[in-house]
Amino acid sequence: MASAPLYILLCSGEHEKIQMAAMMASVGAVSERPVEVFVSMNAIFAFAKGRGPDERYHGGAFSRALKEKRAPDAVTLFGQGKELGDLKMWACSMALDVQGWEMDALEDGLFDGPLGLTKFLSDAENGQFVTL
Amino acid sequence: MSERTKIDARGAFCPGPLMELIAALKLVEIGDEIEVLSTDKGSAKDIPEWVAKVRHEMVSSNEENGVWSIVVRKAK
Repeated sequence: MASAPLYILLCSGEHEKIQMAAMMASVGAVSERPVEVFVSMNAIFAFAKGRGPDERYHGGAFSRALKEKRAPDAVTLFGQGKELGDLKMWACSMALDVQGWEMDALEDGLFDGPLGLTKFLSDAENGQFVTL
Repeated sequence: MSERTKIDARGAFCPGPLMELIAALKLVEIGDEIEVLSTDKGSAKDIPEWVAKVRHEMVSSNEENGVWSIVVRKAK
């Protein structure tokens, strides 16, 4: 039986939440489960083009541990999910507008395009929905 | 004749060993085997779970001195 698609609404700029979103998205996508991620609010800053881990990820003790222990990089994990599985990533059009960003402000090769929340929520009606 | 490729994922954290396995499986032929060496406790259960879900084949899973050797055969 096919797995229900997984829809992840990623809003937080906290490292641990971005990391968990990346882990869920990548593992789900490579497990023959369609996954879609909608990135908005503070989370969008983690995907700005050309940033290193210290600029990209912010958080508390666990963020420091993730960096010190060299846990898999979240943006890299999202990329692996796209390369190896069925993962789509959408940049919140409102977040882009508020920042005055175009898609080329974000890391290359990760996003499938800008999207509005209404369309994402409509698509998500028949799947499992997770907010981080 | 089938071949076996070894991946040394010791020191990699979840889901690193699984992602390395999946990337390697893309590159080998059906019937070939991948051996993953991992020190990540979760991978010892995660990899067999993934293998069953996507219908590859588990060959073996053994632990020695904190290092798991997990062998998977590409089935499709």
